Amino acid sequence: MPDRDRSIALVAPRGIGRSLLLTVPMALFTLLLFTPVLRQPGRPTKLAALIAWAFMIALFFLMMRTRETYRWRRIFFITLGFLFPVGFIWDLVAVRSSMSIPIERMLSGDTPFCFMVLPMTLIPAALTRTIIFPGSILPTPSNPHSIAVMVALWLLATVILGKAWCSYGCFFGGLDEGFSSVAKKARLHKLNPKWRLAPWAILVAIVLLSAATYEPIYCMWLCPFKTVTEFPEVRSVQTALQFGIFIALFLALVVVLPFLTKKRTQCAFFCPFGAFQSIFSRTSIFDIRIDKEKCGAGCVLCQNNCPTLAIDQSSIQAGKTLSSCTRCGTCVDVCRKHAAVWHIKGTPVGVTPERARLLYLYAAWVFASIFGGSIIANSLQKLIGLIV
Amino acid sequence: MKRLTAILGYAAAVLTIVVAVVGPLFWFGVFSRAAAKTSLRIDPMYTGGEPARTIVHDGYQMVVYKPVPKRAPLSQTASFVQVVWKPASALPPAISEPVDLDGDGQPDCVVSFQASRGLDAKLRVSVEPLTTLVQPMNGVGKDSFSSLIARANDTIVVRVPLR
Repeated sequence: MPDRDRSIALVAPRGIGRSLLLTVPMALFTLLLFTPVLRQPGRPTKLAALIAWAFMIALFFLMMRTRETYRWRRIFFITLGFLFPVGFIWDLVAVRSSMSIPIERMLSGDTPFCFMVLPMTLIPAALTRTIIFPGSILPTPSNPHSIAVMVALWLLATVILGKAWCSYGCFFGGLDEGFSSVAKKARLHKLNPKWRLAPWAILVAIVLLSAATYEPIYCMWLCPFKTVTEFPEVRSVQTALQFGIFIALFLALVVVLPFLTKKRTQCAFFCPFGAFQSIFSRTSIFDIRIDKEKCGAGCVLCQNNCPTLAIDQSSIQAGKTLSSCTRCGTCVDVCRKHAAVWHIKGTPVGVTPERARLLYLYAAWVFASIFGGSIIANSLQKLIGLIV
Repeated sequence: MKRLTAILGYAAAVLTIVVAVVGPLFWFGVFSRAAAKTSLRIDPMYTGGEPARTIVHDGYQMVVYKPVPKRAPLSQTASFVQVVWKPASALPPAISEPVDLDGDGQPDCVVSFQASRGLDAKLRVSVEPLTTLVQPMNGVGKDSFSSLIARANDTIVVRVPLR
């Protein structure tokens, strides 16, 4: 499998003036959103917000200047993935001196709602109008990440991004992408494409099992990211076993396999929420198309470089990516023939791909700056607080 | 027709940007207010269900909740009744109290625990059944959602498993 081979030489960079002009609206709007944080007392808070804002705007400017998406988005996404646990764990340790969730906090409804739980809550909610999660419906002082807030966030993300949530919003995916970017070359090349169906199988299984047990099965037994967030207090053989499974899955799917394959293996082969979000892949107005005529014989650079295996021969022939495409932009950036292009549904393919990319990036980057930028700022504040 | 679909496509793309820009300003408030109007609630396995009656003692109260049945065929959590003593800070050092779980006027069990221990101390509860309704508990801590004793805020929560 070839390593990422970019077509930078074939794409002329945009002029600095035009790039700045395209960046100004994003800079002004996100500055407006960061203003409340910048007004908060405390030098670390102000400094962290300013750094996070400048970081997001610098990356957006580079996207405009180089006309590349993947490279700069990846920097944001990996930063988000690695900084999220820092801020999250910091807050947990500050409040309860531990990463484990004591049963007392579950009884009080103080567990922050995680979007991963959403598919598992649907059948019990439809049958009994109850949510099988130890959180609170509405935000409270002790639990601002209530179910209503997180579902509202998910709905907003789904309208704006669709499946691109997996490349612009999911802090867990950032860890996966980070470890897949460490090695220069893939050491494990043969990946059976049938594994792409595994997230769907896991999704169906956990939805049915959660309905049969009235417990969020994925969170209790399978979520690799419990390792870097919070997990049930170890107080029995069962909870010890659960904790062991979390660590094993995290090491295997988020660290080792991404390192060996240079693919986002957790996202591509395991994540049931990714499969759930694929349902909304087709509802997004933005997608990526492959011009078969320009592609010609097919160099399969796009197929080989796609981090979630969302392109195969059949999808190239069909002129589009699979529903697991996260709109990360790698296929567009590596295509030497400009056959893979950004596209707005309803418009002709390949006529104004840069316009489609710009419109997509404005929507996606506003969301990324508000959601991811605030997470980055929160974690940076903790780290700066150590120094200042 | 192609021109029309193209115009609609671009309009939808611009609308997506508008949603991204304007949405975060009001959407969370609107959605939370809408969620508050629904009858959705947290599963009683976590909340303990609804209070049934309150017994007032000198300086503290005991609240007996409605029985929570087993939630699903494969659920690990058995049926239980939640009993809450509050405020925890006003409780006598030792509690040993007959509790009427089903509201028939007759006590179903005697619940005993040491309330005087510090906030970080592990609580243990024993339940002596007086009827066949109740399963016994002997020095139980936080075994499961259906048999436990825990300190939540300024209350002490006991869950008594039912047969």
